[in-house]
Amino acid sequence: MIEHVQFFIKIWPELFKGLVVSLQLSAGALLLGLAIGLPMALMRTYGKGFIKTLAVGYIELIRGTPMIVQLFLIYYGLPDMGILLDRIPAAIIALGINSSAYQAEYFRGAILSIDEGQGKAAQALGMTKQQAIINIILPQALRLVLPPWSNEVIYMVKYTSVAFLIAVPELMARGKMIISWTFKPLETLFWVGVIYVIILSVIAKIVDIIERKLAIPGFQMSRED
Amino acid sequence: MTKPILRVENLYKKFKDTEVLKGLSLTVDEGEVVVIIGPSGTGKSTLLRCINRLTEPDAGDIYLGEHKIESGKSNLSRIRQQIGMVFQDFNLFNHLTALQNVAIGPVKVKKTDKKKALKLAMKELERVGLADKAQSYPAELSGGQKQRVAIARALAMDPKIMLFDEPTSALDPELIGEVLEVMKDLADAGMTMMVVSHEMGFAREAADRIVFLEDGVVSEMGSPEKIFNNPEKERTREFISKIARLHGGDDLELTYK
Repeated sequence: MIEHVQFFIKIWPELFKGLVVSLQLSAGALLLGLAIGLPMALMRTYGKGFIKTLAVGYIELIRGTPMIVQLFLIYYGLPDMGILLDRIPAAIIALGINSSAYQAEYFRGAILSIDEGQGKAAQALGMTKQQAIINIILPQALRLVLPPWSNEVIYMVKYTSVAFLIAVPELMARGKMIISWTFKPLETLFWVGVIYVIILSVIAKIVDIIERKLAIPGFQMSRED
Repeated sequence: MTKPILRVENLYKKFKDTEVLKGLSLTVDEGEVVVIIGPSGTGKSTLLRCINRLTEPDAGDIYLGEHKIESGKSNLSRIRQQIGMVFQDFNLFNHLTALQNVAIGPVKVKKTDKKKALKLAMKELERVGLADKAQSYPAELSGGQKQRVAIARALAMDPKIMLFDEPTSALDPELIGEVLEVMKDLADAGMTMMVVSHEMGFAREAADRIVFLEDGVVSEMGSPEKIFNNPEKERTREFISKIARLHGGDDLELTYK
């Protein structure tokens, strides 16, 4: 037992550095995914003609291809077109684009679940369609989207491990390095796993608190105690 | 009382292959309370929705005062501000408190100062007897309370005319009275109202005119006495006696007192 703990203490500084990178990737990719996904959801829901087709095409294309293909395309493929990205930005962009398609669908689902009468009532007051979307539809949709969105956060933290395939020094990549120094794959991967579990429970808890803070009577479809 | 505030001229509306409005014309005077009755599917709700352009008519003109109602953007918002609308299923904004529901129109549409809007909203809630529910969310209100908040929300825009689209048909019977009472007060205060409703007690008590719509046009209209007691058309008499049994009692007494 003691030697296991000693081993952990020895590799912790390395793993911690990896964890920080993993979290940076997650945060960057989630924000990028949000910044692309929300407009895509609005374009797909309210857009007509070309705008709608563009959003549908984007979402289906991204969801229809493996993330690893997207990652390699951006890191190994773009240099052919003269676009050279560092590892970390490349990973954030690939993960973010991938996430944006899924986030767009979460948002779209939430927007569509808002009763049509809400928008009609807003327009009857004299609001424009845009005002109705911003003031009435989105505040409700964003509350509904929190539970699926929190899943996306948890997926994302785990998905960042694919970045080790382009040698981003995140948690999984650090683990791999430690294995090659120590020849202790089982113990190293055990501790890597433990760190993922702990950090994900903390994140789930934080999201839970946010959901509670934003909870409004009539919107408790998130988690029941 | 003879100045027309709303004129509907030759209104047509088709949904797919069903022609709902077939050249309907109707004028409402300032301060008048018009109750619209008629079998389902004759275009009562469609008529109201065409007036504030939630539904786009196929043909025909509608005037609010001097202004023609058209779907051009800025014009439309300005017109809609002057037409209060109360829906069958309330459509309160679920993420806002009762007070915020009433205040959001003035704040976002009229750009009223927020403090002033909240004060105004409180006054409107008092008017419908719900000042004590100002901080409640729609999910915490009964159907009748929701509809009263919805009425306050429409009133906060200071409309020239109020449209009621079957305001009590989604309510439990014991909650109908409180809503009709608010509407009655509003009528007494001189508000111009167009009410689609089969609440015969309300019609008899508050309406200046009853309009019987059938088959997409005005079939017959007149004072409540005339329509209830001496309608010209046999069809009107038939319909009145049918809904009277359902909604107003045989003797057409007020159901909500």
